[in-house]
Amino acid sequence: MDQTNGQTAQNKIKRAPVHEGPRNHLITFALSLLLTFLAFMAAANQSLSTGFVIFLLVAMAFSQAIMQLAYWMHLKDKGHFYPRLFLTIGGIVAFLCFIAAIYWMWW
Amino acid sequence: MSQANVHSNGQLPPQPERATLEGRNKITGFWLFLGGETVLFGTLFGAYFTLRNQTLNGPTPQELFELPLIALATLILLTSSLFSVFAVQAMHRNDLGKTRMWLGLTVLLGLSFLALEIYEFVHYVSLGHKFHSSAFGSSFYALVGFHGAHVAFGIGWLTLIFLQLKRKGLTTVTAPKVYLASLYWHYVDVIWVFIFSLVYLLGKVAG
Repeated sequence: MDQTNGQTAQNKIKRAPVHEGPRNHLITFALSLLLTFLAFMAAANQSLSTGFVIFLLVAMAFSQAIMQLAYWMHLKDKGHFYPRLFLTIGGIVAFLCFIAAIYWMWW
Repeated sequence: MSQANVHSNGQLPPQPERATLEGRNKITGFWLFLGGETVLFGTLFGAYFTLRNQTLNGPTPQELFELPLIALATLILLTSSLFSVFAVQAMHRNDLGKTRMWLGLTVLLGLSFLALEIYEFVHYVSLGHKFHSSAFGSSFYALVGFHGAHVAFGIGWLTLIFLQLKRKGLTTVTAPKVYLASLYWHYVDVIWVFIFSLVYLLGKVAG
């Protein structure tokens, strides 16, 4: 039984696509650099309103994080149901803790 | 031992980190750990945002934070994350030398990041911003320091794998270790994205 499973796994590996090149990873790196640069520029720009800069910073942080999770950490790939599930649940609990901490203290 | 553990003709399978059940279980288990880490950092961010204005007449975030230093640290960590991607890609090509080279470069950049952070903390302490000087100080050092501790742990982990690869080479046993350490390093970088955006830049804008 164990051997059969092993062979099934081996077959799956054989059918797996040939190694991906660095292209997507370099694009992710370039976009991360761009988002980081824009975030620093937005923070250094005195003429923008504070509310708008905060919105930009939060939006760019989440965009960059999601992009790196998807490409560098392979969450976009098939067979990542449980990793996505674990991280989503962790993210929801983290967000609730974050909101609860702020409102519990100062409400 | 399953058949997948055996390297046919001495060749490493295309995705050696997933070639064994143990390897696949390690990856799934590691993601559970990363989910837990997300909760941990969520609570630290929550504590920081709750307390960041409680400076007790000490220096404020706007007075303390220096953007050029943070930009350099961000560039270093982002590049090190890319290098760890290259290490895994070299591993997939069964290129031991390149895998070790990229891992080594990742460690070097990690050390540079850590050195910058230590310099930054020493500088802040000289300005009167200490762990126990205010609630802002405590929550800042708890959050950023905890991230720094993760970087330090990652450097140690990657170094040990770098050394082990020299002795044991790339096998279905060592490959999941390279993959997991790389995942961990990316995760540390993802947390830094939130720290530089929400702690430093936002502190500068709305300190």
